[in-house]
Amino acid sequence: MFNQYVGIAPKSDLLLLQILGEKLHKKSFLHINSTREGGGVAEILQRMIPILEELGIKARWEVIEGDARFFDITKKVHNALQGNIEKVTEDMWQYHFEINRRNAERLNLEADAILIHDPQPAPLVEFKKSGLWIWRCHIDVSNPQKEVCDYLTRYCEKYDAAIFSVAKFAKALPIDEFIVSPSIDPVSEKNRELTDGEIQETLNKFKIPKDRTIILQVSRFDRFKDPIGVIKAYRIVKKYNDCILILAGSPATDDPESETVLNEVREYVANDPDIHILLLPPFSDKDINALQRTATVILQKSLKEGFGLTVSEAMWKGKPVIGGAAGGIPLQIVHGLTGFLVHSVEGSAFRIRQLINNPDMSRRMGETGREYVRKNFLITRQIREYLSLWYYLENKGKSILEL
Amino acid sequence: MEEIMPFEFKQCISILKATGKKAKNVHELRDLISTVSDDCIFHHTYQYFLKGHILEYTNDFGHWAGESLEERALSERLSNIDPYEFKDITDLRNELINEINEYLKMFPEPREAMHGDEFYFNETVTLIFPVGIRARNLAEFLTAMRYINTPTIYYHFYEARIRLGGGIDDFSRWIEDVFGKKELANRIRSIDPFMHNLEEIKQNIIEEVEEEVRKDMEVIDRCLTSM
Repeated sequence: MFNQYVGIAPKSDLLLLQILGEKLHKKSFLHINSTREGGGVAEILQRMIPILEELGIKARWEVIEGDARFFDITKKVHNALQGNIEKVTEDMWQYHFEINRRNAERLNLEADAILIHDPQPAPLVEFKKSGLWIWRCHIDVSNPQKEVCDYLTRYCEKYDAAIFSVAKFAKALPIDEFIVSPSIDPVSEKNRELTDGEIQETLNKFKIPKDRTIILQVSRFDRFKDPIGVIKAYRIVKKYNDCILILAGSPATDDPESETVLNEVREYVANDPDIHILLLPPFSDKDINALQRTATVILQKSLKEGFGLTVSEAMWKGKPVIGGAAGGIPLQIVHGLTGFLVHSVEGSAFRIRQLINNPDMSRRMGETGREYVRKNFLITRQIREYLSLWYYLENKGKSILEL
Repeated sequence: MEEIMPFEFKQCISILKATGKKAKNVHELRDLISTVSDDCIFHHTYQYFLKGHILEYTNDFGHWAGESLEERALSERLSNIDPYEFKDITDLRNELINEINEYLKMFPEPREAMHGDEFYFNETVTLIFPVGIRARNLAEFLTAMRYINTPTIYYHFYEARIRLGGGIDDFSRWIEDVFGKKELANRIRSIDPFMHNLEEIKQNIIEEVEEEVRKDMEVIDRCLTSM
């Protein structure tokens, strides 16, 4: 599996992974989260565990079990951390703790390093026996509901370190806090190279013409992704430039609002035959890959965003990306270099027109963007950062480590 | 025959550590610059060159003042600071504070950053490791330079200045110490570290060394024809 990344990931990342693999040889690395499938965390762990094992590390992945009430509470906690107003009572916190206590009895928590993903299993730290305990927060906590954040901080402070995805998510905590961006897997179904035949298959399936300029946004039908804004921008562009717009997204079963937003979008589209709304079922990774590889310009016009890895996915396919200046998008788009950051419908339309009318600039930006992702947002970089900070915590006190 | 000391190529990578401190305007920026750790100042100044960056800035403070606050005059002042001129972080820190104070005398009420666009103070942990390439002569060095990546250039060209002092980098020191090629060493030292990105620095060094290797080959050629 490790060999799959040779020639794709930077040589130095692979070299450092091997060096760190030797330093941490036969040590155990336990990951705990709350779901085996679905969601970005599970997706990355599925790929990461075999790579760690190949490096000589005894990697293990455990999942906590909970009932509907538990996950209802953790959903509320999740939403509150993202800034929604939610009521999380003392009784709920007690139940959250109780379920973690039961899991602690069931799971083997012995390891040299233990990485706990997100708030669901955070109380497990109370049952710490040995090893370094690190809490990994994947959520946008830049503007959390204070009471919920404060309660969770009681657990965080008991860890040896915490990891956030973006610097602005980090809080003033009395423990080491690291910034590790999420990543994409270049050899996964969503990002691997496709043959012309595979791409054509997807285009035939959705009746997408290959000979026209294609503007694409891949995202859930969520107001924060601003699908109506994307259509408005497309209409401005259309005045002088022939093009089609594809809005592709999976209907989110856990989001009751998505149906409402989808209906609003359909109404706004009216009978425009050049707007394609594609409702992709789960596991449509190859189709998304093919659409991204066919598009002329890719948008991620989010008004609010966690990290927005769809931007890196698009950049990896060598496409210029126009993104809303929200969440982690400005970390991926260096304005004017790897794409454009926009703040309005008008700005989006202007940048789309600019890219459509300057194929050379589009190509240059796409190439720069792909290299930027290669250096900064591939899974190999994320693994080497996890191992580096583990090694640092074992050699605490030194800010420069010579290997 | 005395053994030649080979040049061992190394690389450094950094992992980012958050301090949890942030500034939303120039006043807060100055106050925090005066209290954050040396590691933090080091990261936002010296390590700026390790990142893909816009050429007109030379540190994160100047970059933020220019891009997020749009305080152009302040960003110019801050970007004119050469971190390698100072004997330690304290002196550099004082110079940053002086520049901000001078600016605030002229513009006492600068604007605030938009929410989410504040300056976040970070530190780093740096890991240094050999990349497994050694060069024993200039021709090998030239070939190696074409293979190595930009973080290796950062370690030997920028980070070395802090270790060695006096505006000296690892490449020119090895070339001078081992081969006595003072002129080539000086040509490498005269590459402006602030006016190029890491890839351009690499290309500049390759060009200088290539020129030298070519000249050396021509000397041998002339020797042969005079025989």
